Amino acid sequence: MPYYRGICNFCGTGCGHLLRVEGNRVRGVYPVSGHPLSRGRLCVRGWHIHELLQTEDRITQPLIKDGTSFKPVSYEEALDYVVERVKKLSGHQLAVLGSPRASNEENYLLGKFARTILKTNNLSLSSDAGQEESARVLLEGCGWPAMTGTLAELRQADFILVVGGDLTKQNPIIASEIHHAHRAGTFLATISPRKTQMARLSQLHLRPRPGTIFYLLQGLARVLVEEKAIDDDYLARFTVNSQTFLDELRQLEIEKIVELTGISREKMTELAKKLIESNSAYAFYPTGVQSLDRRTMAALFNLFLLAGKIGRRGSGINPVTGISNLLGSYDMGLSPVFLPGYASVEDESAWERLENFWQTRLERWPGKNVDTCLSEEENIKALFVVDHDEEIIRHVNRIRQLDLIVYFGAYENPFASLAHVIFPRTSYIEEDGTYTNSERRVQLVQKRIEPPAGVRPIWKTLTNLALALGHDWNYHSVENIMDEISQLIPYYQGLSYEKLKTRLGLKWPADDLHPEGTDCLLVEEAGRRFQFVQVNSREEKLAGEPEIQKELPFKLVVGRSNYFWHQNSVMKRTFIPKREYNALLLLYPRGFVEISTEDASRLGLREKQMVRVVAESAEVRLAARISGDILPGMLYIPYFIDEMIPEFLHRQVADLEKNEEFFLPVRLEKVV
Amino acid sequence: MYWLTKEQLLLLVKKLAEEYKIFGPRHDRVSGEVIFDHLSDWSELDLQAAIPYNPPKFILFPHYEEILKYRYQPETKEVRIEQINLLEPKALIGLRSCDLTGLLCLDRFFLDQEYVDEFYLAHRKKLFIISNTCLRPFPQCFCVCTDSGPAAKDGFDLDLTFTGRDYLVEAGSKKGLALIADLHLPEAGPEALTLKKKIVDDSVSSFDRFALENKAWISRATNRLTTGFIKPEVWEYIGNQCFECGACSFVCPTCSCFNIEDANLASGETNRLRTWDSCSFEGYTKMAGDNNPRKPVEDRRNKRFFCKLSYSQSKKYLRPGCVGCGRCARVCPGDIGLPNVVTYIRREITGESGE
Repeated sequence: MPYYRGICNFCGTGCGHLLRVEGNRVRGVYPVSGHPLSRGRLCVRGWHIHELLQTEDRITQPLIKDGTSFKPVSYEEALDYVVERVKKLSGHQLAVLGSPRASNEENYLLGKFARTILKTNNLSLSSDAGQEESARVLLEGCGWPAMTGTLAELRQADFILVVGGDLTKQNPIIASEIHHAHRAGTFLATISPRKTQMARLSQLHLRPRPGTIFYLLQGLARVLVEEKAIDDDYLARFTVNSQTFLDELRQLEIEKIVELTGISREKMTELAKKLIESNSAYAFYPTGVQSLDRRTMAALFNLFLLAGKIGRRGSGINPVTGISNLLGSYDMGLSPVFLPGYASVEDESAWERLENFWQTRLERWPGKNVDTCLSEEENIKALFVVDHDEEIIRHVNRIRQLDLIVYFGAYENPFASLAHVIFPRTSYIEEDGTYTNSERRVQLVQKRIEPPAGVRPIWKTLTNLALALGHDWNYHSVENIMDEISQLIPYYQGLSYEKLKTRLGLKWPADDLHPEGTDCLLVEEAGRRFQFVQVNSREEKLAGEPEIQKELPFKLVVGRSNYFWHQNSVMKRTFIPKREYNALLLLYPRGFVEISTEDASRLGLREKQMVRVVAESAEVRLAARISGDILPGMLYIPYFIDEMIPEFLHRQVADLEKNEEFFLPVRLEKVV
Repeated sequence: MYWLTKEQLLLLVKKLAEEYKIFGPRHDRVSGEVIFDHLSDWSELDLQAAIPYNPPKFILFPHYEEILKYRYQPETKEVRIEQINLLEPKALIGLRSCDLTGLLCLDRFFLDQEYVDEFYLAHRKKLFIISNTCLRPFPQCFCVCTDSGPAAKDGFDLDLTFTGRDYLVEAGSKKGLALIADLHLPEAGPEALTLKKKIVDDSVSSFDRFALENKAWISRATNRLTTGFIKPEVWEYIGNQCFECGACSFVCPTCSCFNIEDANLASGETNRLRTWDSCSFEGYTKMAGDNNPRKPVEDRRNKRFFCKLSYSQSKKYLRPGCVGCGRCARVCPGDIGLPNVVTYIRREITGESGE
């Protein structure tokens, strides 16, 4: 029974593991102590990946819709079906949805297929909650779209701040690293309205009212100024607009911030002082599953820049991606606002370079993400979708109107049944592929088992489709694709399968300057000055600040980190994670809303009592779950499955999903 | 006692391989990990390798095991059941005494109670066990605190102790003696006993030098657990740090909790599976009617350490359920392996201020 080294494919931590393979099946999983990040740990999902990989409940041949069911067909037939219909469509009529769990090679090809062959720029990922925005904020601020620090030196840090999310559930092993750092002496602080497990493990937990983390972060920056703890030399040498930022900051009144957030000046000063005193400091926030809004991310970046913690060894701002290859997918340019390698779609020279590289003329019109396409664009007639989350199902009515839906997937799910043609795909250990985790570590996962007979990996299917549409890509192996990626995308410059096979991943950029990968962003190497990210005044009044009305006194917040089990379609195929996922579901079969103990006793509510949550124009009935984890005046609904939340939230769901600071003013009524 | 040279060791393995599938510690070429695994190439066997990262319990109690297969024909209402039998004889060579003690604990659980687990028994009946005395501990070890090492006392067919040049061999069963006779191993004189004792003593005294990670001096903690005087705050402190991953149960040589599931196959049959489970999970004790005697995480942690240090093993068999292998401390994301928990309990007893 051989043990094969591999990387887990659930969350953006990318833990190392050993898979026991016997008779072409994965029979067990074990952690591997030598992995630089996971160091011998796995979370409950990682410990059960073999259950997912064992399932025979898979799509194993191409299918074409025949009435209300599907008939199995050959690849040629399925390819012909697609080619015939795609030829009649223009780029504006097509949208492509990639999967943040697919490999870099698959996503790169999907992007190339969309832009060069389908001639569409409507390219996006679902489940990206905040990742795109985070990349934009960081690019603006320091020129790097991802973690500026490294996780390897976490245990030597003096100060760690975790803002939002529920890291111990979303990325347990990264949270474990933070916990170990704390136990080794690092000062750990959490900012979140909810008392998460991370908050319980912290020395200092600030609980601003929902929607006010932005103000709290500004307040902390203001305290830094008051305490005269700014390194003027650092600002002068490495930043461009510090004066403007400081002027704006000086106009803030701390008393106003205290009033808005509910956090005392003393507490703010305590936290700010710890940050000032630290030599090495990191900030963490979640993306992908749950995220902060742009203004909050910008404020966090600005705070750390002001404190001189960006671009220095041992410090940095670290967005944590909740899904295995979320970062890699953006690196590959699966976005309406980025080209591969984060070139902006507004950069004409970037388009020219890309045209040159791909040897095809490209269209430059601004693309839209799939949600916008399905809710606003009437032109859209066809969708290409790769194994994804089920959220897209909320557009079911619009989807039913489309002429062509091509689905690449391994498992059946409610969306798949809406498709016209389905291509099976290999699971992640049935083909080589690289995946980029939160800390920019590009890790190679090698093929360990044979796929079911006849199933082709996506890269092959796309190559076949491209050929049928007149483009001969001529890839002989998936390794060829990585070679091409390393030529196009500067961050991936020095990467090759040969190199990756003998190392436990390499953190990009892995160029000539850093052949073994780059630990952290250093200001000397950035090639530009940093800048404070502007938050325009319109954004200040944005999502998160509908005025509290007297009749709607509660703030309803939706969260996903803490119950994020990677969607039903994946979890349904396991045993123990499914049982754990259901443990909560079965207790509250019609959904629940968390209410604070104080509010519950004030309103005379019992546990599991049915209540009505009423917003301005909709209401929903749920069971009350009394919890000491949330603030009085706050209501909390974990939005992790469709069954729990009916149309009530669907209109605001885009805001609610992406931004944990967004809230709805509601009132609570007992159901008599 | 008998002598075995290094060359004869390979002959011994060859002899065993005629009847048994060979398992032993080897170095994984790519990850560098020491794994206790099936050896297709016997030269990979490395008895001096460090404590393997995985306990060998998977050999008797697999991570994922099909125990039977059935097919239901709705038209004829017929059910066909097929028991899956994988009765391969297996030889475990180089089992460390902590892992062997763990195996004996599993024997007590699966075989010594009212219900004999026939699947475990089927694996267990055809085992040849060769244990290997630890010449030195590893950073995580504390078998001296749990009376499970560094040398095995019983449960083996053969026990090996490396003297620096050759191996001293002790037989623990008729099978062991028969193999010794087959190989014509020379008998060792009376000095062998003294030599072995010296090796073991040296190993024990080197704990201070090598076993540098937190050790669990558990006797006081066991007493406290058994008499039940530990404040709930201690369990809450421990529970806060639990990431509910189940790793501690999966790497523990004595943990035996399992789950039974039915999995549908593409062929139309259904497999009945036994898989590892863990009392760390909320769903583990969930019952019909939404009852759950161990819903909060601190109750589950409390249960685990009672199980390891008080109930079942200690109270019934007068030995701790922990074998001092230190693996739980290594894999725990929350840093609440058994040694640390024992430290927290002892702190509470001695009244020292907590963290």
